[in-house]
Amino acid sequence: MKCIKCRKYKKNGRNIGINIVIMALVLLIVLPMLNLLIWTVTERWAWPDLLPQVYSARAIEEIFGRRGEMLKLFGSSVVISASVSVLSVGVGMMTARALTCCKFRGRDALYFLSLLPFLVPATVFAMGIQITFLKWGLGNSVAGVILVHLICSLPYAVRLLMDGMRAVGTKLEEQAQVLGADPFRAFCTVTLPLLTPVILSALSMSYIVSFSQYFLTLLIGGGTVKTFTIVMVPYLQSDSRNIACVYSTAFLAVTLLVFGAFEWMIRCWSKGNVVKYDFG
Amino acid sequence: MKKLTPYLLSVPQIVLGIIFLTGLITGITQSLGVIPVFGLEEVTFDYYKEIFAKPDMLRSVLYSLYIAFVSAGISTVAGVLICMALVAAGRTKGKMMRVVQIPIVVPHVVVAIFVINILSQNGLLARFAYMLGIIGEQQDFPMLLYDPGGAGVIFAYLWKEIPFIIYFVIGLMASIDGRLGEAAVNLGAGRLSSFFRVTLPLCMPSILSGFLIIFVFALGAYELPMLLGATVPKALPVLAYIQYTHPDLKHRPYAMALNGIVIAISLLSAVIYYMLIKKGSMLLKEKEWSE
Amino acid sequence: MKKRLLSLLLGGVLLLSLAACSNQAGSGAQETGAEESTENTAKDADVSAMSFDEMKEAAKGTEVTFYGWGGDEDLNKWLDDVFAPQMKEKYDITMNRVPMDIDQVLSQLAGEVQAEEEDGSIDMIWINGENFQSAKENGFLYGPFTEALPNFNDYVDAESEDVTMDFAYPIEGYEAPYGKAQFVLFHDSAVTPEAPKSAEELLEYCKTYKGKVTYPALPDFTGSAFVRNLIYEICGYEQFMDMEADKETVKEAIEPALAYMRSLNPYLWNEGKTFPDSSTTLDKMFADGEVVFNMSYAPYGVATGIANGTYTATTQSFQFEKGTLGNTNFMAVSKNSGNKAGALVAINEMISPEMQASRYEVLRTLPVVEYEKLDDAQKEAFDSVEIGEGVIPQDELLSKRLPEMPAELVPIIEEIWQEEVVGK
Repeated sequence: MKCIKCRKYKKNGRNIGINIVIMALVLLIVLPMLNLLIWTVTERWAWPDLLPQVYSARAIEEIFGRRGEMLKLFGSSVVISASVSVLSVGVGMMTARALTCCKFRGRDALYFLSLLPFLVPATVFAMGIQITFLKWGLGNSVAGVILVHLICSLPYAVRLLMDGMRAVGTKLEEQAQVLGADPFRAFCTVTLPLLTPVILSALSMSYIVSFSQYFLTLLIGGGTVKTFTIVMVPYLQSDSRNIACVYSTAFLAVTLLVFGAFEWMIRCWSKGNVVKYDFG
Repeated sequence: MKKLTPYLLSVPQIVLGIIFLTGLITGITQSLGVIPVFGLEEVTFDYYKEIFAKPDMLRSVLYSLYIAFVSAGISTVAGVLICMALVAAGRTKGKMMRVVQIPIVVPHVVVAIFVINILSQNGLLARFAYMLGIIGEQQDFPMLLYDPGGAGVIFAYLWKEIPFIIYFVIGLMASIDGRLGEAAVNLGAGRLSSFFRVTLPLCMPSILSGFLIIFVFALGAYELPMLLGATVPKALPVLAYIQYTHPDLKHRPYAMALNGIVIAISLLSAVIYYMLIKKGSMLLKEKEWSE
Repeated sequence: MKKRLLSLLLGGVLLLSLAACSNQAGSGAQETGAEESTENTAKDADVSAMSFDEMKEAAKGTEVTFYGWGGDEDLNKWLDDVFAPQMKEKYDITMNRVPMDIDQVLSQLAGEVQAEEEDGSIDMIWINGENFQSAKENGFLYGPFTEALPNFNDYVDAESEDVTMDFAYPIEGYEAPYGKAQFVLFHDSAVTPEAPKSAEELLEYCKTYKGKVTYPALPDFTGSAFVRNLIYEICGYEQFMDMEADKETVKEAIEPALAYMRSLNPYLWNEGKTFPDSSTTLDKMFADGEVVFNMSYAPYGVATGIANGTYTATTQSFQFEKGTLGNTNFMAVSKNSGNKAGALVAINEMISPEMQASRYEVLRTLPVVEYEKLDDAQKEAFDSVEIGEGVIPQDELLSKRLPEMPAELVPIIEEIWQEEVVGK
């Protein structure tokens, strides 16, 4: 198996070094995860043993005992974060388009504004905006939470999409316009399909920013908007490592599932696009 | 109509930006001691002055900068190198990306849990060393966590942020490498030199912004330095957090002032970044023209 | 064709999720609006004049939010599986438990008060100590209310210091007791046969088990309590009860204790240069065998730990001979709560003998009801509880109970510790 791989890379003019780097990367990522998995069934794991002394399914049972509640929690969290990521990619696409394709007064200011949330810790923003949101009637509401999540995830989307658009360029699109397509159509049929990998990254990135947001959700949601993170974080900070690890594993599994779903949707959609492009 | 397009496109961004600025400005006024509900109404720089008068303050600032810079620097370099390897091996999609996504998804607090499980004097590494007879007892294992060198915090950031850089750059790098890189190779450039002369410069803005994101994040986040850092010196955000959770709400302005310092450092680095990018994009444009 | 279907699907998903959010938000806003106009204003004005039966009536069918720390799975489960169903059945009140650290609760409350929100999201709060003082002084709390609660009048000893003072700060009816806690130390008697029962013994103990003893870095709640306990050991406790909250005064008073703590440092874990960031971390280190000495504000925590298997069966709690700190957890009602009647009914239920006995049985929380005031059946409910292994009997525990210091002194001591003890 290994040899086949080697040969393949040698054929491409690659050496074993690259393979080793990749292997190391995978191991370094996966091994700590194993530790997390072992902890989900661990009760005591004292020095100097390499495996736990006391196992129990207590932590897992406690979470599964609350299945109904957990499903509801996951449901609402996923809906909130998925909405945030779709909105974020939508708005991000507009901003990125304005920034990459046009020259206009205030372009630099807009660029700076779009990246500003990177530069300010979310906690500072949260403490500042809380009162304003309450006054606007957005405090303690799902809409408010989505709005602040959107603000925090948008810079990631803008940044990724801008890079993508720059790389794709506008030449093809201009050609399509010359051939008679209206600008919007030209963008949708030519540039958009080329952007799909970047759109996928932007979706996933925005999703994860929203899904793991604790402090902002807490302050703006006021505890009445419950997301998975809101319930999970207190356990992470408590002394029950096994419960914390069960929650983390569930968190991870759900997120990767959602990413998979994004990827699937994007793939179907871009396939459809290519078909249309061929016919058009 | 065409002239209006960019403005129309930027409307939602501007609205969201204004909301963000509102929050930011409120935060800054709080650091100047204006929180009417606690009976604080006068504008004052006293909180900043008092903070700077504290003896450990400079150490905290340096400690924060050091952690942020080292984490961001190593993450970026290692991330880009691994990214190159992945692009070269053609592993930019599917299962490989699924693995790379894992650390991005794992919350920082969870990273702290297993960094402790693995690197502490009681961790798995120490246990292996003990089993192999390298160390005689727990205390012989080097103190990687809670040390003023910040090793534990930096390890935790690396685990999370190297994959972040990969994820952030790989899409772009793969598409450039796929199209331009091949062209360059066809034109006779070596694979490696085409990478360094074509792909890498085109990815540079992305890489730099990745660095900036990590740097600013590490500068402003309290979880990891709180859980894995030393008791003294404390990172700036940890100090801010302690002030923020101080039961006397009148300590809130101190927290905000500490945050103000973090913002100032962040903005400064953003300006430097912006200048770098400007230079970079100018170079890029020249290249485009010459094409 | 296929593409169109898919884009429709995608658009549909987008629209749906948007609709779902705006729906939720919309109905949320309507709810609050409706509540504000009809119930809230009427209820709010009268709740202090209402009899308990009227409160029950007013609270029927409403929802009460209960804000408090959410890191204790057992407590959460008890609140969700025992307390909430009881409230639903008995009073038709829906309990909504919101896990939130107390400093964030205060922050939230401060925000809502600042925004002049009438129908605040917070009804009932789990609170004590400095946070209570801060909240009360800032006018965030509703009260006095304890005298309106039948169970408070019938079963709680309203004169005892545990109920009138919270960290030496007068309660004046703004808090009702929730459960009692007492500081205990514990060790694994199979690993360290001796248990240090005084400051001198602790120093010897640290020398014997060099590098294996430590305590959480202040301002951790438990670490801070341990340091106060050491201060009591060395300087006595009486002088602190009415001490002025001034850094110099406090520093002078605790100087002998500071010197003692500095003398511990060379023998502590990592030579006292760093301390674990929290009691949580220390618990983990103790469970893993990295340290041999631990402490907790939950007097029966060891029993639960042994039962779970987190601690070995030979783990044993002990106290200093001179006694350990005791304090009480409380419940308060926020000033801008939209459902004060509901919160009061819930608090009343929480201090009923039935719920207190259940807490004692399930969570091993020291009850707040007075044993002498109970009837035989109620006494029996407490007597029949098997508390478990590794703990100190309740009467012995309570006989060595020292009062908490005034709340203002606590942050001052924490600051002095940072400057004078760490790494010195």
